[in-house]
Amino acid sequence: MSKPTPAESCSPPSQPAQALPDELHLLVEQHVQYVRSLDTRKDEYEYWLTEHLRLNGLYWGLTAVHLLGQPDALPRREVIDFVFSCVHENGGFGAAPGHDTHMLYTVSAVQIIATLDAFDELEERVDGGRKTVGKFIASLQERDTGTFAGDEWGETDTRFLYGALNALSLLHLLHLVDMDKAVEHIQACENFDGGYGTGPGAESHAGQVFTCLAALSIAGRLDLVDRDRLGGWLSDRQLPNGGLNGRPEKKEDVCYSWWVGSSLAMIDRLHWIDSNKLAKFILQSQDPDRGGITDRPGDMVDVYHTVFGLAGLSLIKHPGLMEVDPV
Amino acid sequence: MSRKPQNKLTPLSEDPKWEDVIPIPQEEGSAHPLASIAYAENYSEAMDYLRAVMATNEMSERVLELTERVIRMNPAHYTVWLYRARTLFTLNHDLYAEIAWLNPTALRHQKNYQIWHHRQTLINALDSADGEIPFLTQMFEKDSKNYHVWSYRQWLVKRFDLWDAGEIESVEELLKKDVRNNSAWNHRWFVVFGRPDTDAFKDEEIVKREIEFAKSQIRLAPQNQSPWSYLRGIIRQASLPLSSLREFAEEFAVFGKMDQVRSSHALALVADIYAEEPNGTAKATLALDMLAIRYDPIRVNYWEYKKKQLPPSSPVAAGT
Repeated sequence: MSKPTPAESCSPPSQPAQALPDELHLLVEQHVQYVRSLDTRKDEYEYWLTEHLRLNGLYWGLTAVHLLGQPDALPRREVIDFVFSCVHENGGFGAAPGHDTHMLYTVSAVQIIATLDAFDELEERVDGGRKTVGKFIASLQERDTGTFAGDEWGETDTRFLYGALNALSLLHLLHLVDMDKAVEHIQACENFDGGYGTGPGAESHAGQVFTCLAALSIAGRLDLVDRDRLGGWLSDRQLPNGGLNGRPEKKEDVCYSWWVGSSLAMIDRLHWIDSNKLAKFILQSQDPDRGGITDRPGDMVDVYHTVFGLAGLSLIKHPGLMEVDPV
Repeated sequence: MSRKPQNKLTPLSEDPKWEDVIPIPQEEGSAHPLASIAYAENYSEAMDYLRAVMATNEMSERVLELTERVIRMNPAHYTVWLYRARTLFTLNHDLYAEIAWLNPTALRHQKNYQIWHHRQTLINALDSADGEIPFLTQMFEKDSKNYHVWSYRQWLVKRFDLWDAGEIESVEELLKKDVRNNSAWNHRWFVVFGRPDTDAFKDEEIVKREIEFAKSQIRLAPQNQSPWSYLRGIIRQASLPLSSLREFAEEFAVFGKMDQVRSSHALALVADIYAEEPNGTAKATLALDMLAIRYDPIRVNYWEYKKKQLPPSSPVAAGT
């Protein structure tokens, strides 16, 4: 039997949680400026290399400024024009004009339409309106397993399942899918550690736990979850520096503030992590000059980590942010 | 990220192979200020030609070259991959040649998942897994926790019935290198207990073998969460009593020596075991207090919650 190495031994007694130092506060104005600047960076090569994510990025940016209490920071009309420039005849959306349709971008499109209450525009600009979009989404459900594909090529993932239910609930078209089958599929994705993965047998991952719980929540079936066991696994994602990881023995990352935090909130166990330490970790990941939030202190900011950092702070009721719905 | 366009490329506009194609620039104009133009030159040009060939639905050798050019600059562009796959199948192209090209591309772009979906489409069409496992081993040498690669591997095992083709041995190799590799633990569970049409939990020999394996790996690194989850998972699924782990867990955390705990996971387990015993509440309370105060204080609320779930206390005072 081996002796434990220093890394092996348990954590030492910790100091009582300290009040946040004064310099660590939420940089609201910088973050709004950062999001606004994203569209003025078209002279940067990087902007074009991320074109395949544009519609997601737009949703993240829009959500960020809404959380920051400045919903008008992005021009409504231009955002809506861009969204409808990505739609295809089949009711699906691509990431940008000329890109193929995919579940992920269709969901972002619906989320943006809902955020901006642009359902009238949806009826005006898309043939058949919400029903066409709903049919596209529902058509991607696999009849035998209940899960969803991302596109006609058939890759399946619980992300797509959640996205489908989320978008269809916003469109009031949940009746288009086989909900019992979808719920059965999520149950099949539950692992021995209490978590969920991309499909049956796939490793537990905090992002996928979020998608499965949120889908069950939309289906009204959170009663199927072993809350204590899953809550134990989720709260074990917090590392001594306050940040959360997505899988055991992986590095902490700001985005899991949302994936883990919202999952815990859905099963009423958010208080099982240390909110003060988490807030400090997220605030340390801000870029005070350029605005925006990074994956962990010292890295480059991006809109994905910005929105999920803000959403994480909102969950734990950090002052200065609008309240977020964990689903 | 600081990927730069490769300046060595010959512009397509100077290549005779492309002289019959009129490139289609990205839509511009005040109607779509969010989609105006400023591509780096090579990338911009390649995309213009891509739009042109897609507009006429051209499927040809030169389209394969063009998509390769775009992928080299931007492997995450999913539409390009899909168009390439369509072209390959339309041309009846040599798919082994495609795999040979794909391998170094996958090794270069670890985070990319389009590559893996593309690979799955090709291997499915080839109807053969030859050479796949050795390539995955190469991938794992760079990142043994790559989620895309593990998902692909599970698909491969199911699709080609590779359950007994050395999967457990591969997992053991990976755990020898890093016993904390949670992905490898998950894969072990998948190949042992996840097989369709078999119930390994009813096979005493397998259950015993897996319990012993998990224990041996815990002894190497007692604070490693994965094998503890694995061990508890087996106990639960095989409907064995938790108390059957008591002696083992107490190697790392035992009542009476609470200042010498070597694993918070062991301590949490002994707390659960004590809680099931008659008059065990006081001992369980002490174990949970030690977790809350000393060994896992960041989750103090979780441990306090567990304390509240304990059966009513026996007359022995719960001490801290």
